[in-house]
Amino acid sequence: MFENTLDNYAHSNNLRDANVNFKVLFAIMTLIVSLISTSPVIPLIITILMSYLIIFPAKIPWKFYLKFLSIPFIFGFLTFVYMSFFFGTGPDIFNSGIFNLSVTVDGFNTGLLVFARMMGGFTCMAFLALTTPMTELFSVLESFKIPKIIIELAMMMYRYIFLFIDEGINMYHAQQTRLGYHNLRSSYKSMGMLASNLFIRTWIKGEQAYISMESRGYNGSLYIHNYQNSIETKNLVLLLCFEALLVLGVYLSGNFSVF
Amino acid sequence: MSIIEAKDITYEYPDGTEALKNVDFQVEKGKIVALLGPNGAGKSTLFLHFNGILRPTSGEINVEGQTIDYSKDGLMQVRQKVGIVFQNPDDQLFAPTVVEDVAFGPLNMGLPPEEVEKRVADALEKVGMNGFEKKPPHHLSGGQKKRVAIAGILAMDPQIMVLDEPTSGLDPKGASQILKLLYKLNEEGMSIIISTHDVDLVPLYADKIYIISNGEIIKEGTPHHVFEDVATIRNANLRLPRIAHLMEILKKEDKLAFSEKYPLTIGEARKSLVEFIENPENSE
Repeated sequence: MFENTLDNYAHSNNLRDANVNFKVLFAIMTLIVSLISTSPVIPLIITILMSYLIIFPAKIPWKFYLKFLSIPFIFGFLTFVYMSFFFGTGPDIFNSGIFNLSVTVDGFNTGLLVFARMMGGFTCMAFLALTTPMTELFSVLESFKIPKIIIELAMMMYRYIFLFIDEGINMYHAQQTRLGYHNLRSSYKSMGMLASNLFIRTWIKGEQAYISMESRGYNGSLYIHNYQNSIETKNLVLLLCFEALLVLGVYLSGNFSVF
Repeated sequence: MSIIEAKDITYEYPDGTEALKNVDFQVEKGKIVALLGPNGAGKSTLFLHFNGILRPTSGEINVEGQTIDYSKDGLMQVRQKVGIVFQNPDDQLFAPTVVEDVAFGPLNMGLPPEEVEKRVADALEKVGMNGFEKKPPHHLSGGQKKRVAIAGILAMDPQIMVLDEPTSGLDPKGASQILKLLYKLNEEGMSIIISTHDVDLVPLYADKIYIISNGEIIKEGTPHHVFEDVATIRNANLRLPRIAHLMEILKKEDKLAFSEKYPLTIGEARKSLVEFIENPENSE
């Protein structure tokens, strides 16, 4: 049932066994570089680079990846269009003639920059999400001194999301079997019933989980498995060099803009 | 010596309905005891009394000769001795990975990290799930989840293992793997209590059977003793094992009696058939 999900790829891609800390550090540092860039050049390079890493070394099917990427792309593109028209002052590049709507140089550049940063940042996160299982990220979060209670909540949410997807799909199929979605009216009704039922199920499951945890002497804390292994010095140096190169790129591209 | 004993326990729900009525239940050390009963007879309710999750309205539970102490420390102790494996492994496996789930119990016992790691490795080895440590439970099959759930209890090193319908929802191979595992654990000295309605499997392993119906124990004894009382079995919405049923029909309809008692397992049936064929005049 979960063959095509993010979680599945995170557990079975080719970079799964690469050092977790390295992947996290790499993704976050590159993300920051992408965000501080003042021209769209470096973020777009990062987008291409990360996409390359995801599709080739990590061997995530490109169809799945492009579908995954299309959501932020559409969102980013709309932002770009919106900002080109409604932001900035200065000389026009294009004047539509309707209600005096026009694209200004300033607006176009800001829009493109936001779009590039968005894609750069998103691909960094996508790299992390597609190559690193959540389960290993929890241990990294712990080493970042995130409060344990938050990690524990995240751990349990992660586990139960899949149970409820399963349960939800089963109920959905059962409703379909009895024509629950044959028209709009019944679809609304069925979806509402599904949601409320799922809520009750969560409650019951929660109670059962608590009983079973109590049976094993639950005292308010969970075990977080430690996947930490330190990054090799060589790799760390390479990573820093790479990031320095990107920062240099940011500096050199300065305020480069299309117009 | 009885390792766990329920003495005349009654349990009432808050609304006053009695879920258990004067139940006496006793397990000898090192034995496998089966609790047979239809759905809603009170099997799970009775099990939740064994480690103090539920407290009987009247009567008492003794674990290793001591009455359960319902204080915080007392409950901690009893839950180390009595491990419950729940029917639906998804209720029990709550951690994002196998290793984190199995480590949950030993960690709650306050064991040092090295000891926890060792126990987790041993428990997974015993149930044959080593190599799955980093997997999340939703990537496992039903039988694998069940085995991880058992490992989670084994890691706490209990004296008694209580399993609620351990074979329900499993394919035949998965079910027989679980039973073999339980057999092995029993040989190593673990006392085991199993609830089930799979009457075909029970006689294969159980030393003693209790039959529960509507919150009352209506029959107890060895498999042969219990299954001889066909009327009681059927009143409790249960049936004879298929083999015994066949023998019953052969005896009643076809006047062919192979042996005095109905054989309950394939092995027993084979033996009495062979005996019957070799010297028919001797058998009854």
